[in-house]
Amino acid sequence: MQTSEHNQALSSALKGKARLRVLGLTFDDVVRYFFGGNAAVAVVVLALILVFLLKEGAGFFGQNRTNIQVYRKAGLEYVDMMRAPLEEFSSLTRTLNDVRLKRFRALLAEGRDTDGANEALKEYDDFATAFGAAASEARGVVSDITEVATAVKTRAQVSADREDEREMLLKGGKAEQAAALKVDVVDYEKEIKLITGVAPAWKAAVTEMQEKLRGAVSVARGADWGKGDKELAKVLVKTENFLSVLPKADARMAAWRWDEPVPLSRSVTAFLFGREWLTASFWQDWYGILPLVSGSLLVSLIAMAIAVPFAVSAAIYISEVATPGEKSFIKPYIEFISAIPSVVLGFFGIAVLGTALRSLSQVEWLNWVPGFPMSERLNALTAGCLLAFTSIPTIFSLAEDAITNVPKHFKEASFALGATRFQTLVRVLIPASLSGIISAILLGFGRVIGETMVVLLCAGNRIAIPDFTQGIGMLYEPVHTMTGIIAQEMGEVAQGSIHYRALFMVGIILFLVSLLINFVAQRVVRRYRISIG
Amino acid sequence: MSVDFATPTVSLVKTEPSPNSSATGPIQATAPVPMIEVENLDFFYGKSQALHGVSLKIPARQVTAFIGPSGCGKSTLLRCFNRMNDLIEGTRIGRGHIKIQGIDIYDPSVDVIALRRQVGMVFQKSNPFPKSIYQNISYGLELQGVKDKARLDAVVEKSLRGAALWDEVKDRLHTSALGLSGGQQQRLCIARAIAVEPAVILMDEPCSALDPIATSKVEELIQELKKQFTIVIVTHSMQQAGRCSDKTAFFYLGKLIEMDVTQKVFTKPAQQQTEDYITGRFG
Ligand SMILES: Nc1ncnc2c1ncn2[C@@H]1O[C@H](COP(=O)(O)OP(=O)(O)O)[C@@H](O)[C@H]1O
Ligand SMILES: [Mg+2]
Repeated sequence: MQTSEHNQALSSALKGKARLRVLGLTFDDVVRYFFGGNAAVAVVVLALILVFLLKEGAGFFGQNRTNIQVYRKAGLEYVDMMRAPLEEFSSLTRTLNDVRLKRFRALLAEGRDTDGANEALKEYDDFATAFGAAASEARGVVSDITEVATAVKTRAQVSADREDEREMLLKGGKAEQAAALKVDVVDYEKEIKLITGVAPAWKAAVTEMQEKLRGAVSVARGADWGKGDKELAKVLVKTENFLSVLPKADARMAAWRWDEPVPLSRSVTAFLFGREWLTASFWQDWYGILPLVSGSLLVSLIAMAIAVPFAVSAAIYISEVATPGEKSFIKPYIEFISAIPSVVLGFFGIAVLGTALRSLSQVEWLNWVPGFPMSERLNALTAGCLLAFTSIPTIFSLAEDAITNVPKHFKEASFALGATRFQTLVRVLIPASLSGIISAILLGFGRVIGETMVVLLCAGNRIAIPDFTQGIGMLYEPVHTMTGIIAQEMGEVAQGSIHYRALFMVGIILFLVSLLINFVAQRVVRRYRISIG
Repeated sequence: MSVDFATPTVSLVKTEPSPNSSATGPIQATAPVPMIEVENLDFFYGKSQALHGVSLKIPARQVTAFIGPSGCGKSTLLRCFNRMNDLIEGTRIGRGHIKIQGIDIYDPSVDVIALRRQVGMVFQKSNPFPKSIYQNISYGLELQGVKDKARLDAVVEKSLRGAALWDEVKDRLHTSALGLSGGQQQRLCIARAIAVEPAVILMDEPCSALDPIATSKVEELIQELKKQFTIVIVTHSMQQAGRCSDKTAFFYLGKLIEMDVTQKVFTKPAQQQTEDYITGRFG
């Protein structure tokens, strides 16, 4: 009797008859759908963001190709072949000025007065003047032709804009107005003849320049005043190099065709490996991401170089050495840093840190530090210091977790073998938590590279690849970053323009970099779990 | 019958021992100094007292088993012998002494690091480092600054042979120790402990996580090891205490109830509580 009753209760429980149902769903189902739904929304939103980014960015390469195509058709590319050697030459004359300044200082230090020093440098000045004047003919040629090319390009742009306008009118059904619009069709072939027609004049100018420069160089080599100056010798060698490379441009100019189509790959490489990010220029706009990537990397690396030692040693201290009292004070204190809004940090950087660093660099007895005194108040170092600050809490918390999570029995085993606290730390705890620490560092790096406000305010925002030949001095150069440029320029660009799309592409690159860092960090953590067992 | 003590390779005491210390004196053949001597020990975790007036003597080169119900203080006492309790915040000795080879190990002049080299430990849960088998054994010597590869090789082999593990692992010394089975890991931990040549080995329920075959291997090993080392083993298994110990101490609620030759404790216990525990009337 009792058994059969029991069986019935059991079978009804198994069939779930006793459960409450709403709309045919059990409570478990509701919970499952609720959480499942939330997860699905997250996935969908992420996917939408990705699709949006890609959609807005994808048009960039086509537009950039057109951009480069116009650069070619209007002859700007051709003119640039002449401008490039002249720019190189200008940098040579700048170095000559530096050499003079050094000599001048040396003379003053010897006890001469200003007039005396200038007097002593007279021969040098004659040489430098002759050197600089060597290019005047060539400069004249280029500056004339520059104007022509610019005019062609402007006309090309205007006619393209008109064309767009007309299409809009036609679409809007206003055929009359469309017909009334005059579109000036640029005859590129004719215009280009004008530009390439300058070749003989340019050739003559170059020959003259070569002769004059050779003369100047041999004067400098022969003269007494040039002896023993290593920097001058360097300039002279560079000049000779320049002279030997100069004729090579001729062949390229001769081979150049205005109507050669630009391949799409050129548009991609011009973006990924382009060394210039130049917008709203009178000459030609370039969207090369290298200066931004290198700026972002430089600032982030500075930040990591500062943050990692601090954060990791703080984590070690807190997890292994600190008394409970210290722990309850220091830990929340460091974690509190992340509560500071980054705009406040940036403000602090401008108002205090930048100035403080620069005045520090001007202190007399710190002259031995390479690159000191720094010329800019806001530079990669200023931004890097502040970024370090923002990443310390991230690295600290994660590294501290990693060390604390090393199973206690490893520590006990080590102590039981007669290890000191330090030996246990170095030989057991750190190796066992190393991958955890590395992934903490990587995530800190991801945080830093995505940070915007601080770099926008404090990095100096000069769009240029840091000059690596400067060594340490490179740290004090103002840079611009991927995040900074998006924040700065996105508000000003016309939607759908090439500039707008270029910014989206920068965003995509940034996104990919962050994704990569997170992916690597996850892989490292997974390895760490396996090794701990 | 004279007992030859394993003389410590490292002195426990940083400073010179006082002249009236009996430890350095000649050992009397008739009354051997016990390896470990506990006198009237009270031990506290913060305010709660875990040991109450425990006194006992642990003979050298024998196996002494600690038995008793959970929470009676066996591990606590064991961990006093190598001062592992120092690592726990708020622990202290209220009263009494622990002497190892006649030296009071809680004396401020004692070097805890040197003590732990003399008093090795094997834990309940096997805990090899996440390193190679070789590195696990050489760890203790490397801590002491031994760098000589030949010497390390020799010690690794000797210790692994001593722990009856050599034949099983000699071909994979440089693979991770975490790849070994549970029983092998525990024997590796024993090998790691004997590599630094301690005088005493403490074992806290070393077989509680092992299967019967692995357990019997460790028990055989213990019989081998007692020729060289003084062994103190905490165990939950009455049979294990019976099989492998020479002396047995029964604890209850932080007190030592009785300690005697194992056979006697199991056949003719002097105390009613011991008999009740052994016969399984409470536990
Ligand atoms: N780390 C600790 N902190 C506070 N109390 C502890 C700690 N470890 C053990 N105790 C207490 O000390 C007593 C003895 O524990 P223990 O020596 O581990 O017992 P056994 O090993 O005999 O099972 C128990 O009451 C236990 O609660
Ligand atoms: Mg215990």
